[in-house]
Amino acid sequence: MLTDKQRMIYAEMADFLIPDAEGMPSASQAEVPTKWIDQALHFRPDLEVGLLRAIEAGTDADPAAAIEDLNANDMEAFDALGVITSGAYFLNPIVKELIGYPGQVPMPGTDDVDSYIEMLSDVVDRGPVYRPTIH
Amino acid sequence: MTNLHLVNRSLPEVAEVLVVGAGASGSVAVLELAKNGVGVVCLEQGDWTPASEFAGDKPEWELVKQKQWHPNPNVRQNPADYPINTTESDVNPLMFNAVGGSTILYAAHWCRFLPSDFQVKTMDGVADDWPFTYEDLVPYYEEMDRVMGTSGLGDDPAYPAGEGFPLPPLPIGKAGLKAATGMNKLGWHWWPGPNAIASKKYGDRPQCLRYGACLTGCPAGAKASTDLTHWPEALEAGAQLVTGARVREITVDENGLANGAIYIDRDGVEHHQKAGIVILAGNGVGTARLLLLSKSEKFPNGLANSTDLVGRRLMMHPYAAVVGTYEDELESWLGPAGQLLQSMEFYETDKSRGFVRGAKWNLMPSGGPLGMRSGYGGRPVEESFGVNFHRNVKQVLGRSFEWGIIAEDLPDNSNRVILDPDLKDSDGIPAPKLEYKSSENTSKLIDFNVARAIEAHEAAGATSISSTTLMRDCGWHLLGTAKMGNDPADSVVDQWGRAHDVPNLFIIDGSVFPTSSGVNPTATIMANALRSARHLAQNIATQVTSA
Repeated sequence: MLTDKQRMIYAEMADFLIPDAEGMPSASQAEVPTKWIDQALHFRPDLEVGLLRAIEAGTDADPAAAIEDLNANDMEAFDALGVITSGAYFLNPIVKELIGYPGQVPMPGTDDVDSYIEMLSDVVDRGPVYRPTIH
Repeated sequence: MTNLHLVNRSLPEVAEVLVVGAGASGSVAVLELAKNGVGVVCLEQGDWTPASEFAGDKPEWELVKQKQWHPNPNVRQNPADYPINTTESDVNPLMFNAVGGSTILYAAHWCRFLPSDFQVKTMDGVADDWPFTYEDLVPYYEEMDRVMGTSGLGDDPAYPAGEGFPLPPLPIGKAGLKAATGMNKLGWHWWPGPNAIASKKYGDRPQCLRYGACLTGCPAGAKASTDLTHWPEALEAGAQLVTGARVREITVDENGLANGAIYIDRDGVEHHQKAGIVILAGNGVGTARLLLLSKSEKFPNGLANSTDLVGRRLMMHPYAAVVGTYEDELESWLGPAGQLLQSMEFYETDKSRGFVRGAKWNLMPSGGPLGMRSGYGGRPVEESFGVNFHRNVKQVLGRSFEWGIIAEDLPDNSNRVILDPDLKDSDGIPAPKLEYKSSENTSKLIDFNVARAIEAHEAAGATSISSTTLMRDCGWHLLGTAKMGNDPADSVVDQWGRAHDVPNLFIIDGSVFPTSSGVNPTATIMANALRSARHLAQNIATQVTSA
């Protein structure tokens, strides 16, 4: 569980990675540092060590510079920061709605052969594309 | 993972047949033997995987598929996984140890080999012929189609005419239609993808719900995995299954016959399950490892290994991916994943291309916004984050799909599974090490197919295209390490899977494949296992046994 101070530092770094732009909320606006990061870490505890190292690097540092430095010198921490922040962001149902992604919901399909069966006639008309057994 | 290890306290002192591995091929053998009244015990190092554990219907799916449900055991590191040294391998082997084996996590592409795949030496002058033909295997392919409940469209001109599929094809959706348009413009073969996934309710299995999460286990139970298709009936027929049983050695008697297996249970206790006949079904890495571990005075180089071929000729199907992004909203996160289409346009050999053999293409959905890639480390930060984080999602999500390219892998004795001198699994058993280099033929084959796949995306109207020419995490198909053949000097097992050196030892998984083809091998692994197991069952009374 992140401390309040860690969340503050993490929020700055998360907002650098995922800003308020293009009609989408920033990581902070989407409650990543305050709520969704906890859920994400629950699902991916293996990323906590890397995330904490990233936050340490961002302590008393410019978040952009700290992230650039991680990308250059501590790939594991950079990846952990990137994956857990992105993953937490997309856990938010409001974000999913804004990007038009229904998420993992059942969507049974119906037979759509009629939509392409005539297109397949071109394929069939060209004949076999395999070599038969040599007896 | 759920701990459901069930130790059957009434195991026979000597099993009539012992099967090691409860995956695709082991399941087939156990069911066939049990149905025919043969007393069979199966040892499986993994466990049952209830559908409720799969994350494909949960919001955390994209996060956990990169770790807990990753196909690479070295990433996943579950209790049932064993480590594999891949420092000298171009490709990482992928597998899942469980009741159902790798069918728990496979994509369920259901492709027969083509006739030419059984006659590579005769037709193309390389590698070897199989000791039987496509036509010999057809009855078993057809039976497996019915057992697994496969979905597809018959009369594909990429195959000889024959029995169709028991179920109609799964929807190809907007992504499939978009790709097919491009292929028709180019005059290239395509067909709705055959899948071992129920397009309609099939027996107890429900219809696919298109989560697109097939590669992390099907939460709907629509994908055909052998824990669903084979094990209930096998247990009903009297087969006995021990889970959490990690086999460390196949033992032999004073006559050099296999007489059982030593395994370690989850309490760390060793057991010796004796048997009259032993069948190995542990995939191309697991089976080779076990044979090499089973050294004895009679078999100083490993069990059944007088040819020194055990572990060699490892084939893993190098894989390339070409992703196209389109302006249209294609809902391309929709499954099956699974395959929407497949193309065999560049499958057969055309020597004018500068290489032999070919590749099967599969059209795959694109998944969700997080994707399979990691944190994009190593590339400029602004490329994937900042404003571009949002722009990339907007451009790619639901608007992209992948032509995956499975390249035929030719056998090479220097590509092999050996025992690592230092690395051990959690039970202290030496781990396997892979020495595997992709060949020049493979590189040319992949380069050619990647270029064609780019053309296919362009013809379909892609606005941007990206390619990955050799994905490390692509070693799904573990083949070749206990070669099948008629000549005992040049093969490990005969056409029925019987080891030339050990007449009561059988191998029935993909280890026995003399060639890899360029298609997903599970349909052929299971058809071959059925052929071998049925032959054994029909001739059980005349078998050499150690008991």
